[in-house]
Amino acid sequence: MILRALVLRPIFREVQRTALTILGIAVGVAVVVAIALSNQSALRAFQESVDAVAGRANYMIVSDAGLNEDVLLKLQPFWEKGVRFAPVIDIEGMAEPWQQPIRLLAVDMLSDLHFRDYRYASVVTSDEKSAATYLAILRDDSVVLPATFAKEHGLKLGSPLTLNIKGVRRTMIVRGLLEASGPATAFNGAIAIADIAAAQSTFGFEGRLTRIDLIVPTDAIKSEIQRVLPASARMERPARRNERVEKMLRAFRVNLFALAGVALLVGMFLVYNTVLISILRRRKDVGVLKTLGTSATQVFGAFLVEGLAFGAIGSLAGIAVGRGLAWLILREIGRTINALYVSSTPEAIVLTPGILAAGVAVGTILSLLSAIQPSIEASQVRPTLLLSGAQTAAKKTRSITMIAIAIACFVVAALLSRLPAWNGIAVAGYIAVLFVVAGFSALAPMIVTAVSNLLRTPYRAIFGIVGELASASIPASLRRTSIASAALSLAIGMMVAVALMVGSFRETVRVWVDQTVSSDLWLRPAKGLSNADAAAFPNAISAELEKVPFIAAFDRASGRGVAYGDAVVTVASGDFDIAARFGDLPMIAPRSLSEALRNAIAKSGVAVSESFALKYEKNVGDDITLTTSSGPRHFPITGVYRDYSNDRGVIAMDRALYVRSYGDDSITTVVIYLKPGITRDTARRQLETMFGPKYHAFAVTNGEIRGEVMKIFDQTFLITYALLAVAIVVAVLGVINTLAALILERKRDLALLRVLGMSIAEVRRMLVLESSVLGLTSTAAGLAMGYVLSWILIYVINKQSFGWTIAFHTPVRLIAASLAVTFIASLLAGLVPSRLARRIDLASAMKAE
Amino acid sequence: MRIRLEHVTHAYAGSDVSAAVQVLDDVSLEIASGDFAVLMGASGSGKSTLLNLIGAVDRPVSGRLLLDDVDTSSLDESSLTMLRRTSIGYIFQFFNLIPTLNVFENVAFPLSLAKMPRSEIKSRVAEVLKEVGLGNRASHFPNELSGGEMQRVAIARAVIHRPPLILADEPTGNLDSKNGDMILDLIREIHNSRRPTIVMATHSERAAAYGDYVVEVADGKVNRGSGVGSRVSEKEPGLAPTPDPRLPTPS
Repeated sequence: MILRALVLRPIFREVQRTALTILGIAVGVAVVVAIALSNQSALRAFQESVDAVAGRANYMIVSDAGLNEDVLLKLQPFWEKGVRFAPVIDIEGMAEPWQQPIRLLAVDMLSDLHFRDYRYASVVTSDEKSAATYLAILRDDSVVLPATFAKEHGLKLGSPLTLNIKGVRRTMIVRGLLEASGPATAFNGAIAIADIAAAQSTFGFEGRLTRIDLIVPTDAIKSEIQRVLPASARMERPARRNERVEKMLRAFRVNLFALAGVALLVGMFLVYNTVLISILRRRKDVGVLKTLGTSATQVFGAFLVEGLAFGAIGSLAGIAVGRGLAWLILREIGRTINALYVSSTPEAIVLTPGILAAGVAVGTILSLLSAIQPSIEASQVRPTLLLSGAQTAAKKTRSITMIAIAIACFVVAALLSRLPAWNGIAVAGYIAVLFVVAGFSALAPMIVTAVSNLLRTPYRAIFGIVGELASASIPASLRRTSIASAALSLAIGMMVAVALMVGSFRETVRVWVDQTVSSDLWLRPAKGLSNADAAAFPNAISAELEKVPFIAAFDRASGRGVAYGDAVVTVASGDFDIAARFGDLPMIAPRSLSEALRNAIAKSGVAVSESFALKYEKNVGDDITLTTSSGPRHFPITGVYRDYSNDRGVIAMDRALYVRSYGDDSITTVVIYLKPGITRDTARRQLETMFGPKYHAFAVTNGEIRGEVMKIFDQTFLITYALLAVAIVVAVLGVINTLAALILERKRDLALLRVLGMSIAEVRRMLVLESSVLGLTSTAAGLAMGYVLSWILIYVINKQSFGWTIAFHTPVRLIAASLAVTFIASLLAGLVPSRLARRIDLASAMKAE
Repeated sequence: MRIRLEHVTHAYAGSDVSAAVQVLDDVSLEIASGDFAVLMGASGSGKSTLLNLIGAVDRPVSGRLLLDDVDTSSLDESSLTMLRRTSIGYIFQFFNLIPTLNVFENVAFPLSLAKMPRSEIKSRVAEVLKEVGLGNRASHFPNELSGGEMQRVAIARAVIHRPPLILADEPTGNLDSKNGDMILDLIREIHNSRRPTIVMATHSERAAAYGDYVVEVADGKVNRGSGVGSRVSEKEPGLAPTPDPRLPTPS
């Protein structure tokens, strides 16, 4: 009965308000679910590919520098102990002419059946299945493709397919097609399977392997196997690879979740506000019920149920919406992961029970938490109906308490910002953000009052009595309006903070790229930056480049991901003497680039990126240990440089040292400096004529490279803005909800104004002006909050998560545009409920209370 | 302002037609310009409805209601708004002051709506506040006033724009007898000095005695009695006020 009187009936009577609240939570939950789903999908594709390629192997022997196939001989004695092993070349390449990244998986076709299932759809010709037919697969130029890939690219049995593997281009013949199972499903079917011996001779990997897959029956044998391995090799479970990728992506994913959390946090304010408004509106009823003997616990429970109901229904709706939203953002997230981390084609969105449960739990628990405080307040309503005197006294003490709470929050936030990262994640930074938000929320009532009072005179001057009433009515309903304002401030604050962070970051990267990309042209084996790892030139191109008369110097870049501790870092290489003479890499220590690089050459040392130095607490003079083809080796650090190309950390070494260390002389990019007297366009045309046909080379100017970098940058942050826009939408819903509630509550007051001669249009104008007061208040508070939060984002969270130093820069136009948009949105929020003004019953003003 | 009701019927809609509640049934009544009429009747008799109709807050379901010669039942919403704004003053049982405005601003409200110059508003409000004895309370907010003071502010607000019609709904219903008498004296004084038409709804015989005559309202019918109050003898001849010519007039 109590539940019906206090909660259920009012919920159904105020359908619009109920719907807005549920919508607010639904949007918040939807964003979190969408991020979780699309992240999962983007990463699952990678993980499943790794699993599909690993097959039944429970261990693998790997080396960052590649393995010598002699290792197989050392493994022979273990065969009798039940250990099975399969040599593998698993390497990324390009399928030409589509320039599509493709995985080359070269295995011993006969013994590999222990490890992987190959279901042949057709081999050579479908009606001729003799042994000779199958043996044709082992020929040097044979390749087996998933039937789906072949169909997509119009390939049939017998079709030629040109592969570029580490700069070696060979035309292979499709001699087998696989059904979609096992390894044929990896990398979305972009995988070419060949016999290992054939691949070794065709692509110049004689005697070398990428890894050896193992089936080890008991862990006891593991240590025995480890003893016979060379120093450069390590034995690990296939899952380690997934773990490393997951770790590499962790900061990126946490960042996305934190942004999604903003929408949810704003949603929480909405629930808090709705339940609070319910309670304020039903205060009298609660008083009556308590007079009639209802206990405080019963009242508390009833309002808590209201919060719970909003949370549960909102969460379920949110999951449904989130699933749809995930489709929209998957492409963006996938693109970022591809451009910055690993090559992975996102798979279909799958709503797992885990995500389903998490979505419901997040929405419901947060709603419940936000309902607790107002429910306690409701339970404490005294069974008397006239509380105005007591309330005024309480309000005064509250202001002082709120200021104290705000100061305490800011102090805690400042202290938290000084703490280091935990496990690579800026946990303390994120908590500091929450404290700043809490601090500003505590100040919200005072900010609302102050801004409204400031606006009163100009509003009266511009809009007359309507403006005066509007500016006066917002602080008059402080408890409801300050929460709506806090929610909107939070959304605006985060938007401003992220705009400042992204704007600063963009400016920093722009300056960095302008300085770093100082060469005239880049010669690349593929178009676009994100395919960089897959395509390469052979070293043979060097000799030909030396003969080009208009080239002053060229710097051959190449790199690879290597395991460092339990993470993956990039080892990059270049011709340090050229870079020292022509390059312009911004240095942190020492100041001089040439000093750092010449020392590196002299001491067989390395220069490391700022993010590496920060993450692993290394500096000039320290040593790092890397596993090279000749085993673990120490490298002294001779320089630390600024780098924004990736956040996992880069170790740069001279090309000669790199080739010695990893036995890999392929080149991913040739950085070209031209002699005076030749234009870039002419040089570009000539280089493409010279190297295009033979090496599939593209020449790009430094301007294009800069443009490409900024394009990737903007794409990466697109989703950030989208998430913030969602938070703003939720906040605007909150404003609509609050204003609608205020109108319902003030029906009698508004009727009075109408009786006293205010027209409907004037009442509506007043309501929209009220909304503008809320909008301006929230914009002012949001701007202040945004600057504080951006400081934490730039100097704490970003630095700890990615290891980047960013110079503060205010993107004035971006911020002005965002503020204008949010202010207009808040005005529009006032238009919706102002329509209620038409429905005010004037006679109600005349009725006795 | 002369008030004329011709066969006015009014009902409040229920959930369906059969459930509609008839409140006034074929009422015809005339209140002459400058009269101080008192509506008396039990709760639910229809006197508040009658007041709402006269005050252009509501429109009759059938029949005609003329204020001077303007048929309010045929006016559209914006004309009704203008009529209320310029020609009618309201005094309520619960004062209905705007809590976010101070005394000065509450009283100035009708003039502000009419966009009167600020300097004039200032002098006029000061004058009226002095008249109701609240010259020193202009900057106070409603919650800082006593009941009697709040009602005096409401009266000041009701007369500030010099309306030809003042409606009072149980103006002393929420006051003790001393304050009630003070308010009734004030209303009477205003009637004597400015000669507006006043229609006052009340339960109280004591309050009714301040009017010129009583209109009994019972079961949706009206019966105009002679009931002349004790103070009626104090009534002095004078001119009925006309709306301020600078204020917009209803179409």
